Amino acid sequence: MTFSRRTALKGGAALGATLAMPSILRAQDKPSELIVRAWGGAWGDALKSGVADPFTEKTGIPVRLDFTEDNEIKPKIWAAVDQGRVPPIHVNWDTTTNATISALRGVTVDLSDLPNLEGLLPSAKPVGLEGWPLVNTYAYVYVCAYRPEAFPDGAPESWTVMLDPKFKGRVALYDDGIGFNPIAVIAGGGTFEDIPDNMEPGYEFYRKLKANEPLLGEDPDFTSWFQNSEIDLACTISVNARAAKQSGIDVAWTVPKEGCKVDTDGLWVPKGLPANEEQAAKDFVNFALSEEAQKAWCGALGLPPVRPGIEPPADLVGDPSYPTRPEDFEKLVSVPSPVLVENQPIWFAKFNEIFQG
Amino acid sequence: MKLSGSKGVFLWGVTGFCVLMLSLPTVIVVGASFTSGDIIAFPPQGFSLRWYSELWQLASFKAAFWRSLYVSLICTVIAIPVGTLAAIALSRYRLRARTALQVILLLPFTIPLVVSGLSMMMMFGEVRILGQLWPVGLALCVINLPFMIWSVAASVNAMDPELENAAASCGAPPVQAFFTVTLPAVTPGVITGALLMFILAFNEFLVSLFLTDSRTVTLPVEIYNSIRSVITPDLAAVSVVYIVIALVAVALLDWLVGLDIFLKSK
Amino acid sequence: MAGAVQKARWALLDAVEMLARIVWPAPLRGALGWAFLAPALILVGILVIGLGQMLETSLHELNLATYRLGDAYTLANYATALERPVTWRVLARTLGGAGIVTLVTLLLAFPYAYLLVRTGSAWARKFLLVALFLPFFIGQVVRAYGWLIILGREGLLNSALKAVGLPAQDFLFAYPTVLFGLVQYMLPFAVLLIIPALSAIGEEVELASESLGARWPSTFRHVVLPMAAPGLIGASVVVFTLTLTDFAMPEILGGGTQDFFASAIYDSFFQISNAGLGAALSILLTLIGSVIVAAVFMMAGTGTLGFRGGRR
Repeated sequence: MTFSRRTALKGGAALGATLAMPSILRAQDKPSELIVRAWGGAWGDALKSGVADPFTEKTGIPVRLDFTEDNEIKPKIWAAVDQGRVPPIHVNWDTTTNATISALRGVTVDLSDLPNLEGLLPSAKPVGLEGWPLVNTYAYVYVCAYRPEAFPDGAPESWTVMLDPKFKGRVALYDDGIGFNPIAVIAGGGTFEDIPDNMEPGYEFYRKLKANEPLLGEDPDFTSWFQNSEIDLACTISVNARAAKQSGIDVAWTVPKEGCKVDTDGLWVPKGLPANEEQAAKDFVNFALSEEAQKAWCGALGLPPVRPGIEPPADLVGDPSYPTRPEDFEKLVSVPSPVLVENQPIWFAKFNEIFQG
Repeated sequence: MKLSGSKGVFLWGVTGFCVLMLSLPTVIVVGASFTSGDIIAFPPQGFSLRWYSELWQLASFKAAFWRSLYVSLICTVIAIPVGTLAAIALSRYRLRARTALQVILLLPFTIPLVVSGLSMMMMFGEVRILGQLWPVGLALCVINLPFMIWSVAASVNAMDPELENAAASCGAPPVQAFFTVTLPAVTPGVITGALLMFILAFNEFLVSLFLTDSRTVTLPVEIYNSIRSVITPDLAAVSVVYIVIALVAVALLDWLVGLDIFLKSK
Repeated sequence: MAGAVQKARWALLDAVEMLARIVWPAPLRGALGWAFLAPALILVGILVIGLGQMLETSLHELNLATYRLGDAYTLANYATALERPVTWRVLARTLGGAGIVTLVTLLLAFPYAYLLVRTGSAWARKFLLVALFLPFFIGQVVRAYGWLIILGREGLLNSALKAVGLPAQDFLFAYPTVLFGLVQYMLPFAVLLIIPALSAIGEEVELASESLGARWPSTFRHVVLPMAAPGLIGASVVVFTLTLTDFAMPEILGGGTQDFFASAIYDSFFQISNAGLGAALSILLTLIGSVIVAAVFMMAGTGTLGFRGGRR
């Protein structure tokens, strides 16, 4: 289905050429598999059921998810492209900031000719880059997730509750502070305008938080920490809290008065793949942007897709982690990609310095 | 020797604690793998082989398992001749700069594994062999080589040097003496070293993490990636595979050379 | 039949002998040792070349506009690394951890090794050896995983505490947990390295000491310990360097805030994609480790790490 739609859009000539090719050649042309780097847990499950499996069904190309960490794959791809080796993966599912850094390094394939770019929300287009070296696929919110049992008086109203000695050792953040660095500035008494030039209020907030011995982890850690009741409160992407909730754990989430960071993830294809594999990788990205895949994938994640007109999952209608209307976005904090690219490494280093000290 | 009274209590007390500490994770992992629930827990919820059958269906773990076997085999095959010759040379030939040599051959130990791994990652990339499987085996051989040399050197040192001299004075030419006298005498050390190399390569995780990618991922890295993604009891089942292999290795070692070989003084 | 095989074997051996004489004539006999060593030196040479490349990388600074290392040679990465207080704090944590782990591991390993060598029961000996080898052969990741199950909030230990009416404790994700995991990981290494030194001590020496009226603790202190020194030195060097450079235990059991130096290297390479800084940290760690090992070797000899049984 997708195959014929794509070729049809690319023009009859391409279609004719494909059809004219002896079938044996076409069979050889098809890559034996596509390797897509993904995050594990609920994230990987959603990609598999929403995009990978239907893609395999349509094209016959098996898709393998690779759970190598996003930070780990980055230098490996860079080195492979620099050294003229075949990169270790076909498609990278990546944070927009990391993807932008890879695009700046010039290791990404241009995706401008994907037919499904048509009709996407403006947030799909990467900021500050020429063309489409990557495409954003959905937005997500780093919510304040909590165990209601630990908050008998209702949802926490302010992020400063993290500093309450009651939650010593029971608060969790990402291990580089991603998703919380700008919020820390506001929670620490600064304003949005302070970002990125005056991050000191945020660092001051971290120094106080350190006394409360927070846990630092990655996506799946949050789910398992909630499951094993290791934590009461976390700044994590709503997906992880929702996954814990769906497995029967009592977890809720909220957007405190200081707001929550909203960001996007994207897909990109590394340079240096054999032509047929690169094409299949682009087909995969294109399929991930189709209405069918966006609905299934983002629905499973519980995140607002970049293709407009898709209804939120029933449990997330009106939920603060699923922003759709302008007033939803007003409560959220969005830092432009170029600012993140330039400053995030500095924030990470400072975060590391405070919490590893 | 008498190991009774306060001395016996002290020794058995400390050793008992050690045995408990050494075995507890193993026992727990084995127990947890038989759970019928969805979450790792101990005591396990119910008993089932469910996670073993799920594991069996996981192509990624199976592929990683075979890759690990292949890598360990390469590591062992390289280590046997290289380590044996080096150990014989160190123990039997009067070499100048012996101390310097010892320091050099200990480099795999004194250079941090994270540094060895990363520098081999950069270097293998430069020579365009990164992304293949055999260089992983080679790298694991390099970082564990001292173990092979130690094992063989222990056997060489235990051998009476007069044996070789006797063979020579009876007219055995050097190659013949080497194959008929020296090699048989060091065989226990070679077997021990080879098994050590194999098992250490099979378990090695950090260097493998840097040198493999999704096409060449080996079992320890696959397990680590799974621990970082989501922990389900199939991981416990994989771990049990490890435990079984370790049991086989220990039994093999005992059968071939006897575990008591480690109790001999060098 | 057997005779023919035997004959063929000798013929083959003679042929090899001839070949060896041609390939390696007698005057070169003295160099044979070096020829035997060459393959091992080449393999270790891979590490030396890699280290050289690491040194080269450490001399280039990252350009944040292109995320590539600059061409100019500079010591900026070393300056950055040494200026940041976090480098020193992580280093202190790592060195301190390595020291504590080495001490505790040796304290536990010594009685274990002693009992193993001295016990008269073959059954006990085999049991202790198997208990030692199994974890040694199981690897770090699987063992760390076992501790996650045992020490978790809902884990075995907390269930036991709750069963006797005590409140649950947070065992995981703290410095002591990491050190505990490391001690457990290092114990087999230490025992195996102490054994040869202990088994070299004749039982009669101890009996003599005790027959002269020394109680066992003083026999231990004044006779066994000094005589086992080479084994203890070898074991402490191995345990110390392995702990100093460990990555997995702090990473898995530390909950993200107990990083050791290896994690700092990893983070520089991967989290902030700064290979130059990571290489500089790598060189620093290698230097620190090498200096400490060299100092121990110079003061106390190579212990059982020498390829010829230490002090002989």
